[in-house]
Amino acid sequence: MRPDEVAEGLQENERKILLALRDKPSATTSMLSAETGLSRDAVEKASAWAETKGVVSFTEEVSRFFKLTEEGATYAEEGLPEKRLIRLVASGESEISKISGKFPTLSIGLVWARNNGWATIKDGRLTLTPKGLEAVTGETLDDRILFDLSKSPLEEDQLDGPASDRIYVLVKRGLVEERSTTERWVELTDFGREVVPRVEALMGKTVVAQLTPEMLQSGSWRGTTFQRYDVGLPVPSLEPGKRHFISQVIDYIRRFWVELGFKEMKGNYLELSFWNFDALYQPQDHPARDLADTFYMKTPRFGRLPDPALVDRVRHTHENGWTTGSTGWQYKWSPELAARNCLRTHTTSLSVNQLAKLRPEDLPGKFFSVGRVFRNETIDWNHLAEFYQTDGIVVGEGVTFRDMLGYLKAYLEGLGLEKFRFRPGYFPYTEMSTEAEVWIEERGAWMELFGAGIFRPEVVKPLIGIDVPVLAWGPGFDRLVMQSYRVSTIKELYSNDIGLLRKARLWTR
Amino acid sequence: MPVITVNLEDFGKLLGRKVTLEELQERLPMMGSGWEGTTEEGFNLEVFPNRPDLLSIEGLVRAYSSFTGERPGQRRYRVKTSNYLVNVDRKVERVRPYFVTAVVKRVEFDDPLIRSIIQMQEKLHVTHGRRRRKVAIGLHNLKPIRFPVTYTTKPPGFRFRPLGERFERSLNEILTEMPKGQEYAWILEGAREYPMILDAKGMVLSMPPIINGEYTRIDEATNSLFIDITGTDLKAITEALNVITTTFADRGAEVYSVKNRYHDHVAVTPDLSPKTMKLDNGYVNRTIGLKLKPKETATCLRRMGHGVKAGEPLEVSIPCYRADVMHPIDLVEDVAIAYGYDMIESVIPPISTTAGEDPLEVFSRTLRGFMTGFGFLEVVTFMMTNREKLFTRMCMPEEPVAEVENPKMEGYTTLRNRLTPSLLEVLSLNKHHPYPQNIYEVDDIILLDPETDTGARTARRLAVVTCHARANLSEIRGVLDSLLGNLELKAEVEAGGPECLIEGRRFLAKVGGETLAWGGEVRPEALLGWELEMPVAALEVDVDLLHRLTET
Repeated sequence: MRPDEVAEGLQENERKILLALRDKPSATTSMLSAETGLSRDAVEKASAWAETKGVVSFTEEVSRFFKLTEEGATYAEEGLPEKRLIRLVASGESEISKISGKFPTLSIGLVWARNNGWATIKDGRLTLTPKGLEAVTGETLDDRILFDLSKSPLEEDQLDGPASDRIYVLVKRGLVEERSTTERWVELTDFGREVVPRVEALMGKTVVAQLTPEMLQSGSWRGTTFQRYDVGLPVPSLEPGKRHFISQVIDYIRRFWVELGFKEMKGNYLELSFWNFDALYQPQDHPARDLADTFYMKTPRFGRLPDPALVDRVRHTHENGWTTGSTGWQYKWSPELAARNCLRTHTTSLSVNQLAKLRPEDLPGKFFSVGRVFRNETIDWNHLAEFYQTDGIVVGEGVTFRDMLGYLKAYLEGLGLEKFRFRPGYFPYTEMSTEAEVWIEERGAWMELFGAGIFRPEVVKPLIGIDVPVLAWGPGFDRLVMQSYRVSTIKELYSNDIGLLRKARLWTR
Repeated sequence: MPVITVNLEDFGKLLGRKVTLEELQERLPMMGSGWEGTTEEGFNLEVFPNRPDLLSIEGLVRAYSSFTGERPGQRRYRVKTSNYLVNVDRKVERVRPYFVTAVVKRVEFDDPLIRSIIQMQEKLHVTHGRRRRKVAIGLHNLKPIRFPVTYTTKPPGFRFRPLGERFERSLNEILTEMPKGQEYAWILEGAREYPMILDAKGMVLSMPPIINGEYTRIDEATNSLFIDITGTDLKAITEALNVITTTFADRGAEVYSVKNRYHDHVAVTPDLSPKTMKLDNGYVNRTIGLKLKPKETATCLRRMGHGVKAGEPLEVSIPCYRADVMHPIDLVEDVAIAYGYDMIESVIPPISTTAGEDPLEVFSRTLRGFMTGFGFLEVVTFMMTNREKLFTRMCMPEEPVAEVENPKMEGYTTLRNRLTPSLLEVLSLNKHHPYPQNIYEVDDIILLDPETDTGARTARRLAVVTCHARANLSEIRGVLDSLLGNLELKAEVEAGGPECLIEGRRFLAKVGGETLAWGGEVRPEALLGWELEMPVAALEVDVDLLHRLTET
């Protein structure tokens, strides 16, 4: 950046510091604080910002000094306890038992009197040594250090040889503490020197931070400069309102179907077993109808079966194939079981409901549904009781298996998948059936994506009355979302974690 | 769906040539199965429930060798006649009515065959046999059996030596004390006497479907078998018998028939003769979308193990072990499989139809967009809930709701009749995120309704909850007012609303006497019920009514 640009980007405090350094090789932050009138803290902050802009540099100097602790200060005033002790002894009181209560720090004095070699103890009596006798009247090194420090803290190089050795004993004793301070020396860089004249030039001008309505109305903005912002600095983040990503994907799926010419089917979540199973030619003893996999209703337990003629056709088809040309399942079909209410286990129940509503003159038709289905599963990280499915059917004379593969290919290519295949599959209510598989490079294997098939004649004929091909498929949903949003478990997908929702990106397909 | 384990070496030996995992991984699924991964000795394969014949290695190889064109056409199975006789007592009609039998000789029981048969029997029991109730298979050493064999019932006190036991046990003891008995006793629930198969000397072959007798134990030296299959579905047990006997036959065993004498007729089993079905070649082409000539269709059918007599229509001879062929469409699928699903060119047909979304869905999307404009976050919650969440925590009186009979988890026992509790639950799970937390949802609830076919109906709701230190009535009513204003609607607002809201701080919005929405500040007791420590204002709108009002 150019010097004038930098100058315009400086804040007020930074400018003050630059000007204060104008005529000095360097200055400490304390000195700058004194000169600019800013607090030392403000100077520290401003000089740090200025350093990031390359206009100043600094060096730091650590200096050590010593000062008295509270205890040390007390002794400086009252005298060291060992001094007081030997004075006592010198005045004739030498029996320890007699003098022990004389002053509170006596026991400390005893320890140090011995450490210093000033007295000996024998039979409970103290006797002063020659050294001790000398110390009674003279000023010891410890006395001198305490005295000097009581005047003011001293830096290391202000102590003479003997004192600078002895002082550590006092530190250890807890009478003196060692501290260090960092002094920061700030100086202009070469670039800073180029910037200074620009800052001087700005001194007369007003630098504006926020343009206000008042300035616009009064015209006072003229002749001012806008403070130059570092436009790349982070700004406070915004939290907009948002659609849930699942909801966005559902909208996409709807659009996908509509663009291919499909019309939406809606229907019950809570449905008769008739529509969820029987109309799909699933025999009444099929394992999927077990309590284990399906939610059956306690309230309301039973529903009313639809049009008796339709029910009869379905019954005959189950029992002996009716006129479909099939052998049927060959068992006795129970209307009571069919009237049992359950939560739909697939959106295919909507498809058969739709077929029952069609008359031959309504064909051809293309229908889709997107909705919740329910499975009586034990819930864990990868299994839910409730999740979304989507289904599509194409009904009409002359639609073929080949046509269905065409729709599936369009869907898979629309998802951006390149290597996929269709292989024979199995679903109880379709024949021919296929499973779409996609090649997973990392695993070196084909992976099942979703199933499709032509509804069996045993499904279609009782519902519409004629044998007409019905192509059906249900492209999966959850896996698509999980992959796109890098969510690893299905539980997380439906967790409604607000943090996740706020971070989730927009669905743009 | 059942999954079988296949030993690659066994497979190769039966096939008669070297075969690699790569080849099978590519081709077996194209024949109609699901590749489930490799194992140390081979691979796992998912077998479709309607192809019990593929549950044994022998059946799998049989199908594969046809599919690749190595050995197309129908296999012929001979059943030798015999004098073996089984008497079926009428008493079984009430308990376990259906019974088929067969004898196989010159069986070479080596490890691969034993593995294959055991796996097949187990998978047949679990799937085709619906855990042995519909189909239960018994395999016996033929040698000790003295004919005629009788299939009858015996009282609970009857005693015999079950397989693996050193002493005799009564039938009752077996059902209550032995593990196999406990596991399958449910099948015989309610019966006064239990099914038994005995030979002419009164020795017990088995107590179907529970356990065999020690008398006819099979070991490595066994080389002839008596097979019995009992069940509740004649079609299913016949299919199972066909599948098992052909498996032995493929290994070189000889199959002998057995006469089963009922009180009013005699059935000779097994019948391994194929059944015929006519197939119109035009139907094949119309369904798949191909232009095959009858000769080509016939070639495809042969590759799926069928026999074909040329003509129009084609006369197809379907092997006895194909349980899945019920209708000509099943043969059409076989043709497509043999032709190759990967060879069918896929093209989108020019079918012109009018498209569109359901109007309520379009309207709901408009509402969602509008709510986002307030800066609210959309959530997607579950319809299944429980009474505690709907009523107890909400401090609302209990009401009848749609309830499920057989829930596995506590949290999923009823269907919600209001949307707001779902939103409060979301708030309760997000206390670790910063506030404000203003969320909404447009989704369905279930209401009981005797007028409908099921006794319940779906209704759509919009619910909004604002949660922050200053959440209050005027802000939430502001949302409703704004929404109505933007739909050019007006509502009469009066005091009232559900118990979960503070009295004096709640409202009902009505249009023409019908309640369109309610809202207000949530009671502290209800907030506590959700362990929330932040005020909440809530609004719930009847979207069906709102939609109706906007349409008029």
